[in-house]
Amino acid sequence: MRLIGFSTGALAYSDFQFGLRILMNSHAKAIELSALRENEISPLVHSLSSLNLASFKYISVHAPSKYDPLRESELIVLLKQVAKRNWPIIVHPDAIQNFAAWRVFADLLFIENMDKRNLMGRTAHELSGIFQKLPEARLCFDLGHCRQVDPTMNESYLILQQFGARLGQLHVSEVNSRSTHDPLSDSSVSAFEKIASLIPENVPVILESPVPPEKVQFELKRARLALPITPSGNGNRKRETQRLQTAFV
Amino acid sequence: MSYGDKMAGTMKSSTPVAPIRLLQSKIGKKWSTIDQASTAAIKTSEKLEKILTGLSSTDAGVVVFGSLARKEWTSKSDIDWTLLVDGQADPQHLEIAQKVAARLTESEFPAPGATGVFGNMTFSHDLVQKIGGREDTNENTTRRVLLLQESRPFGKPDAYDRVLRLLISRYLKDDRGLRFGTIPYKVPRFLLNDIVRYWRTITVDFVEKQRGQAGHGWGLRNAKLRMSRKLIFATGMLSCFSCELLCSPKARQELIKHNSTVGMEEHLRAFVKLTPLEILSTFLLELKIRKRTANKLFSAYNSFLTMLNDSKKRNHLKDLRPDHIPGDTVFDEVRQYSRDFQDGLTDLFFNDNKKLRDLTIFYGVF
Repeated sequence: MRLIGFSTGALAYSDFQFGLRILMNSHAKAIELSALRENEISPLVHSLSSLNLASFKYISVHAPSKYDPLRESELIVLLKQVAKRNWPIIVHPDAIQNFAAWRVFADLLFIENMDKRNLMGRTAHELSGIFQKLPEARLCFDLGHCRQVDPTMNESYLILQQFGARLGQLHVSEVNSRSTHDPLSDSSVSAFEKIASLIPENVPVILESPVPPEKVQFELKRARLALPITPSGNGNRKRETQRLQTAFV
Repeated sequence: MSYGDKMAGTMKSSTPVAPIRLLQSKIGKKWSTIDQASTAAIKTSEKLEKILTGLSSTDAGVVVFGSLARKEWTSKSDIDWTLLVDGQADPQHLEIAQKVAARLTESEFPAPGATGVFGNMTFSHDLVQKIGGREDTNENTTRRVLLLQESRPFGKPDAYDRVLRLLISRYLKDDRGLRFGTIPYKVPRFLLNDIVRYWRTITVDFVEKQRGQAGHGWGLRNAKLRMSRKLIFATGMLSCFSCELLCSPKARQELIKHNSTVGMEEHLRAFVKLTPLEILSTFLLELKIRKRTANKLFSAYNSFLTMLNDSKKRNHLKDLRPDHIPGDTVFDEVRQYSRDFQDGLTDLFFNDNKKLRDLTIFYGVF
């Protein structure tokens, strides 16, 4: 079964404590602690030891998407507290100023592919340049972003083909034409289903759909529908992969 | 991105950058007007990029068609453009389209023709959703097919790139014969049929305009029909045949084994970004077509562009009506080079390469 959870930012904007409380009441086993704004990261890092995260099998932290470039080294020092716990750090490639400084996180650094507004990190071609600068980094593959860039899902296919070995986490939601996140529609479910066979079962899924607490379970179910698991063993996996590749035409 | 980069991984062999230049050196000929028109197009494009700065967004971008996109810019070329909208509705889009028109006029670029196909807004949904059927109007077909065959974006290319991907994806994914058919060839017939349909529509509309516009502009339209319009039809067919003849083995295997069109879509996406003359020269080089054929085709096209660049002859043709043809020396020239061009195409498609001939017979008529 896939590990599926939520970003606290999707559930409670900047209030990660509230997001955590909402998620503790669900069956989610994965959580991304979100500090998208610069002023959110310090309180988050300083409260890590006091958070009750026992029910989660997978925990990651989303680094700020924008910050004062002069404070990049301070940010890295703070994020080392996250890395000490062996938790992945999700970062937008356009937020990085000094790539060499971020190499310290090695394979705990997860680079997220970007939406159409950005000029970097949107396609396999653009990502390859980033991974050249961060050779050990892994990929946080945002399906909604990639679908917004290429609704045919071909680019998703190409990214997964090229960077499948680096895949560490998924971001799942519907990204609308204003580049904001929405709950999954049938259209997104159907699009993501096309490439689900290329995503190993052990890759954690973090939902970024902004939903009220009473809709969390429903959205988790939608995510399972969008990302069905490919059976493994005794040639089943191969047959199922072929079946799904046939579906992805 | 260079031609080599564009084709990397999607083509069997990669013809180096600037296939027209390579062709010239291989057959020892120089087609100076083609070279000049290409250089002029690059300079005009640079100028246009500056003029249109700031008008494109990720949801709506300026796309130019015609001679500028084909890199065949001559002294009297106009700019056929549209604001391609692929995003949420926004009343500002009309304002942007009006700004594009105003900036082009301020910079003394001639306005597009009066057909209404260009010089306004185009919505991606019409292009992508209405392929065929009652609502696929003449304008919609024209914009869609020309987007595939002779277009380039200015400013932010995001909307253009998305729509191009979607169009190619629709043509290939909806083509059940291509994906599941048992015939040995892998040619996107749905796309091919649309290209053929567009060409036939132009030829029929030519006669309609002859009648409706009382022969006004007939001579120039006739010359363009025989040359530049025919070129994009021929290279449209070649683009489709490239899936069989020039696509990478990997992309073909994906299609044959897994019915996946992803590799072939990538191949086509890169291929259609070449200009028609680059597509033609790529085929002449890759399929080792006879030098005589290559020379015939390119020399004829060079003569056509030379004539368009000669304002006296161009104006003469513009004013020429059908009943004034007999004895008209300028039209005799058009007739001569267009016949050479036709002969060259016949040799290319039927006489010089068996595979191309087989495909033309198989897909060209029935």
